[in-house]
Amino acid sequence: MSLRLLFLDELNGFYRSKVMVALWIGLPVMALLLYLIVPDIEGMPITTFTALLVSSIGGLLTSVLIVVNILNEKEKKVYDLFMVRPINRGNLLLAKFSAVYLCVMIASLVAIFLAAFLDAATKGHDIGSMLGSLDESLILTASLMAINCSAGVLIGVFAGSVLVGVLLVIFGSNQLSSLVVLPMITDVGEMWMTGLASIAISVVLLAGAVLVFNRKEF
Amino acid sequence: MVQDDGSMVSVRGLYKRFKDLPVLLNLSFDIPRGKIFGYIGPNGAGKTTTIKIMTGLIHDFQGDVIIEGRSIRQRDASLSSLIGYLPQQTALQEWRTVDQTLRTFGRLSGLEATEVSSRIDEVTQMLGITEYRGRKVSKLSGGTLQKVGMAQAMLHRPKLMVLDEPVAGLDPESRVLFKQLFRRLSREGTTVFFSSHILSDIEDIADTIGILGRGRMRYIGSMEELRGRVGRNTEVLLETVEPMPDNIMFQGIPHIDHVERITDNRFQMTLQDQKYVDLVVDRTIKAVLANGRHVRGIYPTKQSLESLYLSYIGSEDEA
Repeated sequence: MSLRLLFLDELNGFYRSKVMVALWIGLPVMALLLYLIVPDIEGMPITTFTALLVSSIGGLLTSVLIVVNILNEKEKKVYDLFMVRPINRGNLLLAKFSAVYLCVMIASLVAIFLAAFLDAATKGHDIGSMLGSLDESLILTASLMAINCSAGVLIGVFAGSVLVGVLLVIFGSNQLSSLVVLPMITDVGEMWMTGLASIAISVVLLAGAVLVFNRKEF
Repeated sequence: MVQDDGSMVSVRGLYKRFKDLPVLLNLSFDIPRGKIFGYIGPNGAGKTTTIKIMTGLIHDFQGDVIIEGRSIRQRDASLSSLIGYLPQQTALQEWRTVDQTLRTFGRLSGLEATEVSSRIDEVTQMLGITEYRGRKVSKLSGGTLQKVGMAQAMLHRPKLMVLDEPVAGLDPESRVLFKQLFRRLSREGTTVFFSSHILSDIEDIADTIGILGRGRMRYIGSMEELRGRVGRNTEVLLETVEPMPDNIMFQGIPHIDHVERITDNRFQMTLQDQKYVDLVVDRTIKAVLANGRHVRGIYPTKQSLESLYLSYIGSEDEA
C-alpha cells in the first residue's frame, strides 16, 4: 500500500514541479529550435531529430533531476518523518524513481508526438509510419533513462553534497548508460539485448540504493 | 506483550558513539505511561541521539529501548504506529500544501482515507492552523511549520509522542498552546516525551524530568522532588582582589561539588551540603592567601533551581 501511495504522491509533486513544467514545454521547443538552427540536417524529419535529441539529453536530465531532489531532501532531513512511520524505506526510493522516470518519459514522448504532428502538417508525412520507424529509438531512450534514473537514485543516496552528486552523475551514470548502446553500435547484438541489459543494470543499481538507504542513519 | 510496571518506555543501557566521540554512556531510564516526561540537557548532551534511537532513525547502538513490551530493534511496523514524532526542525516536502502533507502522513501512519479528513479537521483546529490548510509548506512561517509538524505527529493518535525541542523558536502564545496540548494529550492517556535545553520550558509541565549531562542521566524524578532540593545545597560566592589564573586552588578543598568561574576574580562554588559552609569558607580563604592573593568577599548563598540544574549537568560523577 505504501509504495502505491508514495508513488502517487511523488507523481503529484513532480508533474507540477517547475523543472517538469520546463520539460513539458522546453523539450519540444528546444527540439524545434535546434532543428531550425542546426545546419546539415536537410531532409531529416523533425520527429527523427527530436527522438535523437531526447535520447541523448533525456537520460542526463533524468539523473540530474533525481540526484538533486534526493540530496536536497536528505540534507533537509525530509525523510525523517517518513521513516518513523510503518513503511518500507526502500519504497521511498522506488516511488521517486518511478515518478521521475514516468514524468520524463512522458515529456519525451510528448515532444516526439508533437514533432510527428509537425512533420505531418508541414511535410505531409504519415504520423503512424513516422512513429513506427522510431521504435528502436524509443527503446534506446527508455533504456538510457532507466539506467540514468536508477544511477541517480544510488548516487543520491550515498553522495554527500549536490555538487558531488551532479559530478558523479555526469561522469558516472552517463558513461554507464552508454554501455548498453554498444550492442547496437558494434552490430554484435540486437535492440532487445539493449532493453534487457538496461533492465538488469537498473535493477542492480536500485537494489544497491535500497540496501544503502536501509542501513543509513539519518 | 504489554509491560505491567507502568512504563510505556524502558531505555536500557544505551551506548552510542559517533566515530571517536561517545554521546550516550550506559543510559537507562523509564518513561511512565500517560505522563509527561521532560528530557533536559545542554546542547550536545545526547538528547536528539536518544530520541533518534527511540524512533528507529538510528539503529546502530548498544543497549535497547522497549516500547509497550517490544524492542525497537525488531523494527516492527506496528511499533512505529504507536509513536508520533516531531523533529527538532520540521522538514517537509516544500511543494505540498499543509493539507496534502497531513493527508500523506496520516495515510502512511495507517489511517483510512475517510478517517484522515476528520482527523485533519480536528488537529488543525486544535493547533489553530485551519486557515493555512491550503497553503504551500514553503510559504509558512517557522512557528506555523512547527505547528504543522505537531499536527502530523498527533494525527494518528499515537500512544507515545516523542518531541525534540517542540517549543524552541515558538512565540509565547504558541508555547502556552503547545503546553496545554501536552496536558490534554496526557489526560487522554498519551505518553509525552519531550526534550529541551531550557529548564523553564519543562518545569511547569513535566510530571517527571530527566536531566542528561555528558551522555548520562544525572537526575530523574519529579519536578517537586527537584524543587525540594533547592536551597538545601548551598553555594558560596568568592571574590578576590587579584585575578586568579585557574581553578586549581579549589582542588584541595573538600566537600565542593562544582566550581563555576564567573569572571577572573569571581567564582561560584556549589557545596555537597550546607553543613560544610563554614569549613569551605575557612579553607577557601586560606587557599587564596596561600596563593598570594587577597579575598575581597566571600558570601554563602542559597542555590537556585537553575544553578541546581547546572550543577547536575556539569558534574563529572555518574548519577
